[in-house]
Parts: sequence; structure tokens; C-alpha cells
Amino acid sequence: MSYAITLGERLPEVIIGPFDADALQHYADISGDTNPLHLDEKLAQSIGFSAPPVHGMKILAAFEPMLKNWRSELKIIGLSGKFVQPILRGETAKLTGKVLRVSDTEIFVRLFAHGSQRLPAIIGEARLRPPTEAAA
Amino acid sequence: MQNDKQCLSLGPLRLQVDPVRAKTYALETGGDGLSAPLTYPAIWLTEPGLLKIIQELCQSQDVIPVHESQSFYYSLELTLGESYDLYVLLKRVTDPSRLIIEATIKTTTNELVATIETILRLVPQDILKAKA
Repeated sequence: MSYAITLGERLPEVIIGPFDADALQHYADISGDTNPLHLDEKLAQSIGFSAPPVHGMKILAAFEPMLKNWRSELKIIGLSGKFVQPILRGETAKLTGKVLRVSDTEIFVRLFAHGSQRLPAIIGEARLRPPTEAAA
Repeated sequence: MQNDKQCLSLGPLRLQVDPVRAKTYALETGGDGLSAPLTYPAIWLTEPGLLKIIQELCQSQDVIPVHESQSFYYSLELTLGESYDLYVLLKRVTDPSRLIIEATIKTTTNELVATIETILRLVPQDILKAKA
């Protein structure tokens, strides 16, 4: 195995945000996800949030550059996440990752995004493919 | 999508990885904008034809869609400027109440590029308001 990755290796943490109302509107404009839950403060408050939740996709997408910055030679072939808790407008999100499986053909990384809550906001996973001998 | 457990398939929808939009999306989500983000197809899931169906479903049932999970699995990389065919299967399930969006991206020569799954929890507005 020419790529040295240790089981249990932790990826460098990344902090993103905080995101204000303009940032959420900007993401909505770019992504097309105009769900008012993320943009309408009164609607968010009417259903129990102190502020609108940040789009989950905005945070999940931020794992891709994190993974590339960690090991640019690996190809990301899968990224997924369960949105467990909201990260609210004004909060930062801490992105972390840990290598849980390594084989000749695939590296599996467990991903977490934490906001201000004790429980993670996102529990995710990434599957990465090591470089082939020819490409390495 | 009037009754529960109904499925609706859409596609193929011919869509392009617009280089400008892909770069904008990449920069917005922390990337360098030099390649198509693997989460870029999330944009395609907000295409007007698809979004309208979801919005009408939610309005008719007085529910708010809450994004519960999302996955992207790739066989081939997306290429900036390239066109792809998107096939979408919408599945309404009731126990618990969810809308599952399964999407498949293929090349225009029918080669599998990626599979995507989006799960939206459909939360009745009156329940949410009662909790507030």
C-alpha cells in the first residue's frame, strides 16, 4: 500500500461559519434550495427554533474540500450524511473525521459536524479510493 | 402524488454541469472551484419541474419538508460543461412520513455516473406548531 493511512487517523478539524441571514439567502440563491424554513425567521420560530437552521447540504458539502485538503491524492467516490440536529443561523460548525476502515481499494471515513449542541448535527461517511499504482 | 405509497418517476432530464454555476457552488461550499463538486447534483434536485412536485405535495398535506439524509455515490466523475441524463424516482412512504428521492445520473450514452438519495421527513405543521 503506497498511501500511508492509519486506521484511526483523525482528519484536521475544520470550522465553518457562523452563517448570517445573508449567507443563508446566498446559499439558497446558488443552490435553488429556497425552503423558507432556512430563510424565514418567523416560520423557524413558529416551529420551535430560536433561529432558522442552516441548510444541511451547505454543511455536508463542506466535507468535500476538507477531505481533499487532507489527502488530495484520494478520489472521493461517496459522501453521505444524516442530519441529526440543526445548526442554527449564527452558529459555527466544527467538521471532524476519523478513518475507520482501510483496504487496498477503499478508505472509509466517519464524519461529524457539530454545532452548539452536544449531539452531532451531521453524522456522515465518506468513501475514498486510493490512487492506482499506475497513477501513483 | 395524491395518495400515500405512490411512486412517481421522472426523466431522463438532460442537464448540464454548468461551469459557472459549478464554480460558484464550489466556492460557496469551501471548494476551489476547479472541478465539479460531488454534491453539485443537489442543485439539479431543485429543478423547477421537480421542486414544484415537492412543493405541491407539501402544500396539499400541510407538511414541512425537513432534510433528513443525503447521499452521493459515484462510478464516474462529473465533468464541467458535460451534459448528463437524470432519472428520478419519488417515493412517498407513510411510516414514518417521508419523501424519498432516488436519483440516477447517467452519461448521454447510458453509462452510470452516480446514484443519489435524498430523504425528506414530512412534518405536519400543526405538530410543529404545537411543540413551539
